[in-house]
Amino acid sequence: MARTLTQSNLGGPPPILPDVPPGDGGGDDRDRDRPIPGSSRQTSITGILVLMCASIMTFSALVSAMVVRRGLNNDWGRIGLPHILWWNTGVLILSSIAIDTGRRLLRRNKRAAFNWYWSAGTILGIAFLAGQIVAWRQLAERGFYLTGHPSSAFFYIMTWAHAAHVVGALGAVFYVEVRALRFELGPSRRTMVDVSAIFWHFLDVLWLGIMGLFFFWA
Amino acid sequence: METAPLKQTTALKRGIGSRIFSTDHRVIARQYFFLSLGAVMVGTALSLLMRFHLIYPQAQGMTPEFYLSLLTLHGTMMVFFVLTLAPLNAFGNLVLPEQLGASAMAFPRLNMLSFWITAASFALLLASFFAVGGGPLSGWTAYPPLSAVGPISGPGEGLGQTLWFFSIGLFSIASLITAINMISTAIDERGPGMTLMRMPLTCWNWFVTAILSLLAFSVLFAALLLILFDRLGGTSFFVPAGLLVADEAIRHSGGSPLLWQHLFWFFGHPEAYIAILPGMGIVSHLIANFSRKPVFGYRAMVWASISIAFLGLLVWGHHMFISGLNPYSAIAFSLLTMAIGAPSAIKTFNWIATAWNGALRLTTPMLFALGFVSIFVTGGLSGLFLGQPQIDAYFHDTYFVVAHFHLIMGLAALFGIFAATFYWFPLMFGRMMDERLGKLHFYLTFIGAYATFLPMHFAGFAGNPRRYSDFTTFDFLAKVMPLQRWITFSAFSLASVQIIFLWNLFHSIRHGKAAPNNPWEATTLEWSDDAAPVVRGPYEYSQPGATRDYIMQNENADRGY
Repeated sequence: MARTLTQSNLGGPPPILPDVPPGDGGGDDRDRDRPIPGSSRQTSITGILVLMCASIMTFSALVSAMVVRRGLNNDWGRIGLPHILWWNTGVLILSSIAIDTGRRLLRRNKRAAFNWYWSAGTILGIAFLAGQIVAWRQLAERGFYLTGHPSSAFFYIMTWAHAAHVVGALGAVFYVEVRALRFELGPSRRTMVDVSAIFWHFLDVLWLGIMGLFFFWA
Repeated sequence: METAPLKQTTALKRGIGSRIFSTDHRVIARQYFFLSLGAVMVGTALSLLMRFHLIYPQAQGMTPEFYLSLLTLHGTMMVFFVLTLAPLNAFGNLVLPEQLGASAMAFPRLNMLSFWITAASFALLLASFFAVGGGPLSGWTAYPPLSAVGPISGPGEGLGQTLWFFSIGLFSIASLITAINMISTAIDERGPGMTLMRMPLTCWNWFVTAILSLLAFSVLFAALLLILFDRLGGTSFFVPAGLLVADEAIRHSGGSPLLWQHLFWFFGHPEAYIAILPGMGIVSHLIANFSRKPVFGYRAMVWASISIAFLGLLVWGHHMFISGLNPYSAIAFSLLTMAIGAPSAIKTFNWIATAWNGALRLTTPMLFALGFVSIFVTGGLSGLFLGQPQIDAYFHDTYFVVAHFHLIMGLAALFGIFAATFYWFPLMFGRMMDERLGKLHFYLTFIGAYATFLPMHFAGFAGNPRRYSDFTTFDFLAKVMPLQRWITFSAFSLASVQIIFLWNLFHSIRHGKAAPNNPWEATTLEWSDDAAPVVRGPYEYSQPGATRDYIMQNENADRGY
């Protein structure tokens, strides 16, 4: 949006822009002589930021539903969070650190080191999901099911929704992983690295929000 | 004016596979266009069945439940698959990248994915109508508790209602993808020289609508998630404790149907603006073109769109005045609702001021644009009544509301769609639609629209309840029956007039007059084959000193305009 240059449509003729490369005259995105739409770094980053806005709205809606539902009735009971959730939190943050370290190393063209860190991040991400499954089982063993306790219902739905995000993000991380192990990460795919890293960090923030909500309040 | 073929024709030459699963935004635009054309025909047919039943309730074996499922499908079909898809997805896809000077949408594959998810959602919706037990009965708003407790609340509330929720869930996902795509396109894919304040008002409105769509559909998605868990997982988010349905105690405990209303209307009200804002953009654009004048107050128009969208996010409570809302909240929602009148009035005055003293060209798209202004004002005025809690208490469940939302959301948006169809038909198919038939279609539709929906206000005054399948059993409604009969006859006439449009459309696709490069002598880039950078604002019509009464956005002073 840095190109904003306001021009009143009623004013005189605007200045002629010097030496602007000719734009794309339309046509098919399969024509390889043109830049592929969405391949521009800025567009991909905007896209992922906008997607994050949508996720934030969905989670805000769930949280506000929870606030309202808690105030409605006196059937609200706190759920004791299984301890493994704290381990999971640590694993997720570690995976984020690994992925970000990898991303920084790739910028300095250390591809082999990138592969190590990115793989570590991927494995930690899978470990997080496995840990979540254990947490859900432990919660069920303590008698907190989807039904019965409104608090546990919200816990399950929010953590499921978060896990669905993690699965989606893992897809992107895996794609990068496969390309990386084949040493195929050309400059155009590095956008993919950055975009999946951004979204991966976002999942940390989302997770910390959910943990905070249930630890301090519900 | 040279008659070079329009650039769209290249897309038509390729094989069938790439035409069906295409990532070309113009092909996807046509797919959305025909999907919503199919939906509008089904939706209209459903409404005619309802109208027929209302005046001849004894004539056929239509149960009240069947009537309600017609009502539900009609509303869902029209709101989601016509009023959302046609203005935003069809014309937005067709024109937004072209007008911005972008080669394509930001994410073409996601665009294709979004269309096919929408198509799957449409298939599910149709399937819900034929589900075992019957179609869903809960209306397009799907209020719990009855929509959340399953078949006990009605024959179609089982599988039919579940399919309905899944269909709308898919629709939400597709809409979110489209919104992400359009926002990214508008922010990052603008061609050289296309600054934000040089964007045509159409693009501004699609951009603002996409933002609104992103915020609204993500909340609807959360609500759908919760209600599906209520239906299928046994949770109690929306079903209150101690609920009796059909003499049977429902096992759920402690939820709140009001919670659904809050979440739903946080989506539902912006949805009305998702339907109408693109129309406003199209109308602003067309009135400037066919008046051969710059848009009066371009910046005011931009800010009015933004404020309408912003306020639109804050007024969901005015749908809930009679739901037991706290009276103080009702006052706040009411004041905010009235505040939307200000930017709406700015728009209306600017449309009139743009056309004022212009060299009017009363082509079919212009007629539909002017018709939009008329219907928008008429429908908006009844909004001032309904926006006040005291008056709404009387009107809320009457035909007054039916009249209001059909005019402001349905017909106004539909007039925008018609205007856009006639205007961008050359861009879609390389040909022109027939002007004579177009004008005939406009006048008959305009008269039919008022003849059908204006009398509904009076039925509302008389306290005629909406959603009822049979008025003949109520003595106090005997006096309204002649009015209802008139409405039905008028609705059938209005629907049959649309055959002219369909004939014009399909005949012109094959046999229409070949379109010149810039058929409407417009200034914006979708009519330009020239890849030169944008150097001026979008509405430079009748500029003093110019040799022709329009200057394209990418025309330089030294290139001899």
